Amino acid sequence: MDRQHIRNFAIIAHIDHGKSTLSDRLLELTGALSAREMQGQEQVLDAMDLERERGITIKAHCVRMNYTARDGETYQLNLIDTPGHVDFSYEVSRALASCEGTLLVVDATQGVEAQTLANSYLAINHGLEIIPVINKIDLQSADVERTKEMIEGAVGLDASEALLISAKTGQGVPEVLEAIVKKIPPPKGSADARLQALIFDSWFDSYRGVGVLTRVFQGTLRRKQKIRLWSNAKVFEVEVLGVQSPKPVEVDELVAGEVGFIFANLKNVADTKIGDTITDDERPAIEPLPGFEELKPMVFAGMYTVDAHEHTMLREALEKLRLNDSSFFFEPESSVALGFGFRCGFLGLLHMDIIQQRLEREFNLDLITTAPGVRFRVTKADGEVMEVDNPSKWPPQGEIQKIEEPIILATIISREEYVGAIFKLVEEKRGKQKNFEYLSGGRVMLSYELPLNEIVLDFYDKLKSVSRGYASLDYHFAGYWESEMVKLDILVAGDAVDALSIIVHREFAYERGRALVSKMRELIPRQMFEVAIQAAIGAKVIARETVGAMRKNVLAKCYGGDITRKRKLLEKQKAGKRRMKRIGKVDIPQEAFLAVLRVGEE
Amino acid sequence: MALGVYISVPFCRTKCSFCNFASDVVSRAVHTRYVERVCVDIESADRLAAEMGATFTPEVASIYLGGGTPTVLEPANLERIFGTVRNQFRVCPDAEVTVECAPGTLTPPMLASLGRCGVNRVSLGVQSFVDRESASVGRLHTRAIVLDDLARLRAAGIANISIDLIAGLPHQTPESWEYSLAETIATGVPHVSVYMLEVDEDSRLGRELIAGGTRYHAHFVPDDDATADLYLQACDRLNAAGVHHYEISNFARDAQPGAVDRPITRSPDRPIGDYPRFASRHNLKYWTRQPYLGFGVDAHSMLLAESQPARATMEREISEYLEHAPNFGGGRDSQEANFYARRGLESVRFATPDSLEAYLAGKRHERTDVTYADALEEAHFLGLRLNRGLRARELGERYGPEAATVFREQIAELRTLGLVELDDGATRLTSRGRLLSNEVFLRFLHGAGEVRAGEKAGPV
Repeated sequence: MDRQHIRNFAIIAHIDHGKSTLSDRLLELTGALSAREMQGQEQVLDAMDLERERGITIKAHCVRMNYTARDGETYQLNLIDTPGHVDFSYEVSRALASCEGTLLVVDATQGVEAQTLANSYLAINHGLEIIPVINKIDLQSADVERTKEMIEGAVGLDASEALLISAKTGQGVPEVLEAIVKKIPPPKGSADARLQALIFDSWFDSYRGVGVLTRVFQGTLRRKQKIRLWSNAKVFEVEVLGVQSPKPVEVDELVAGEVGFIFANLKNVADTKIGDTITDDERPAIEPLPGFEELKPMVFAGMYTVDAHEHTMLREALEKLRLNDSSFFFEPESSVALGFGFRCGFLGLLHMDIIQQRLEREFNLDLITTAPGVRFRVTKADGEVMEVDNPSKWPPQGEIQKIEEPIILATIISREEYVGAIFKLVEEKRGKQKNFEYLSGGRVMLSYELPLNEIVLDFYDKLKSVSRGYASLDYHFAGYWESEMVKLDILVAGDAVDALSIIVHREFAYERGRALVSKMRELIPRQMFEVAIQAAIGAKVIARETVGAMRKNVLAKCYGGDITRKRKLLEKQKAGKRRMKRIGKVDIPQEAFLAVLRVGEE
Repeated sequence: MALGVYISVPFCRTKCSFCNFASDVVSRAVHTRYVERVCVDIESADRLAAEMGATFTPEVASIYLGGGTPTVLEPANLERIFGTVRNQFRVCPDAEVTVECAPGTLTPPMLASLGRCGVNRVSLGVQSFVDRESASVGRLHTRAIVLDDLARLRAAGIANISIDLIAGLPHQTPESWEYSLAETIATGVPHVSVYMLEVDEDSRLGRELIAGGTRYHAHFVPDDDATADLYLQACDRLNAAGVHHYEISNFARDAQPGAVDRPITRSPDRPIGDYPRFASRHNLKYWTRQPYLGFGVDAHSMLLAESQPARATMEREISEYLEHAPNFGGGRDSQEANFYARRGLESVRFATPDSLEAYLAGKRHERTDVTYADALEEAHFLGLRLNRGLRARELGERYGPEAATVFREQIAELRTLGLVELDDGATRLTSRGRLLSNEVFLRFLHGAGEVRAGEKAGPV
């Protein structure tokens, strides 16, 4: 199809503002899926159970629809569905880079939220045409005027021509298709130029290897073509070219302006980096497409199986998930308390949560995750700079010259009445205010610099709780701060329990230490001797509790010579001891560690 | 070796809230049916032993009628049981014949009946001399009833009396406990058992303690530390009064104070060469692994295996055990499994079902094979219960020359922990070790467990 009849667009929306429902309506109206096919299968694009449940898109998709407009012409509409969470902002930016325009869907009963705002700014920066769409106008509580004001005030877009729709009832949806055709410009580029195609997602298919979603900017992708990946110069032969409509349909070529998928005998998802450029091996492009970044994990945690025998299963499961997601990393780690496990790095908390849930559901593993942390930049006294994402690798305090911790710039949108509580929370989390703005409709927008280490613990839950669920949060990485971080160890009878060590700001060390120590005291069974539980920074003990020595464990009666009963009782006790983890000379049930780690999650 | 015979009478007038035995309150007709069944079993003891691959000499040194509350039986039923035992076995003239009694059940006909049965020892379930404490766990008697029972037993010629006490009853305090101990000592009975209240799911009080309820006074139960202190208090008081500690829960005198005109006092550091004269001879059979036969519900027997392996085989086993023992710590590895598969049997234990229905329905005995290795472990964890301690020479005589060295490392560790002490050739628990005896005993288990008949092929 000639470029003039192609429209590539995305949909920006906050969770539950109606993106998936609108997608369904568009598929239905363009005949890509019949109403019958849609029946009983809402939110066609969110294929994973987790996506449907949480109302978020984890993997990107793209769907081609053919639409005959009111001008009588038939257009090829490519909907590029983007992941909907701040952890995936890079993927979102690559998906947006593949479009010429986007729909900005805002719930008329809720207004603009922080993520919508962040993604809208991304779209503006990419020079995309943005079409404001106000959804859910059929609801009683819909306030179209206020929503328009917010779009104008917060996003800075003219909302006078915003489309008013109800994706649920279908009202106004045909106008959305018309607006896509009329307002979004056709793609540029030439089918004859040297090939430049952008990878905006990839996935693993157990039959065909790695599939790549790509947008062709220049040139043409053909079957049997030898292609080269810019970042690693690896060469592959295209085996399958296709588009999803939404069922996969094979095509012979994808020309400049088009979006589709390829299989090229790729085995490893890590080879297909999001944002990378595909070019022709024989006639390569002069330069890659702009905006490519290597993704770096930001949040780190240890993952262990509750049952030590499942360790191999965990490794296999992690390897399988990595086939589909090259953005998380893992390496073997071992802990005295928890046995063998893996140190894992994630893009963010949601990403970590998703990986953990997929491991538990799809692989049926019972997991324990240590307190999440970040990667610190530590300058040692001898000038060496090291990146530390694991408390066990923290250098001794005396060798440290300077510690820098990653900082994020957080944007919070909330109702005015919760501002006080949010201020307090953000201060507690060592935040520095950057901006404060009143939006229309009693909303405020706050910008803060915050240490990521504070966010990973419980910030999001606390924010939701102090704002009764009304605050929305978006953040992006914003550099490093020098900070007074310390390693807090929990010692049981003088031996450090590795799984419980955390890197914490000096100001919070005492409070965290107290909490951990008193929790451990409740959970450690009495031993044959008195056991001290201490929280310490280096050699300095900052909190202490004691578990008194066990006094009594005796079977007094003789039970009429029932030696078997005595034996069974002793064997049961002995088996109980075997299941315990030994820290120094203290036996601690694994449940104690699990409970303490779970406390940290609250 | 002469046998101990145990007969279980699983009936009570009421069920105490701390009780975790298989006892119940049922009708007289059931009593008679039960006694008939017990008598049939006693009569077929020879056949049963043969079936179990065990052997015994039909000579009886002790008879113990335990409960429940045996004295709820009609005298006729009681006499039937004893008659059957005496017909079936050769009961030694000086045999210890004990009946457990609940205070307040010793009616004149019952006392007369005990006399006809040849009962020469009574174990009285007093639990406490503080009426409120007894009542709180569902006991029907009072201090006055206990004192009256003692007087009538003595008048009937039964002076060898044991009193059971429980440390850790609801409402108990060090002061009230002191009172119960003083009262017990003042009665002059030659034997006292002190049990600590056990909290498990098999008793109503235990279930309530675990669940945190109040109906059975669980909220008034002293905690573990307080109960441990009560136990130590009892050891001190009883030892000081000449009621010598000879087993974790048992104390006995060397003479009846009534027999001499002054109270007997002994210094607590008296060397323990042997058991006090009034130690329970029946219960000693359990702790020293002497053969015993049990009849009735939830009754346990231990007899020597029929085909004893040659002495050489036994010694080889023990040295193999010794060789492999260091590797046994972690669990059942293949080496361990092989070792256990080749073993021969030292003795056999068998038990009747623990429910009255299953027993009356004729459910079969459950058998447990005891290899030499098992026997050696048991010799340790049973023998250490006794204050007399373990003697290397005696272990060697019975289980082979290397028997005393098998657990050398464990004993060394236990000494460092202050749970076990060594003196004049005996290894014995310290006072702390007695309170933590399970911690001690589980070190003598190598974890392979026992092979139940039918689970694994073994020489039967």
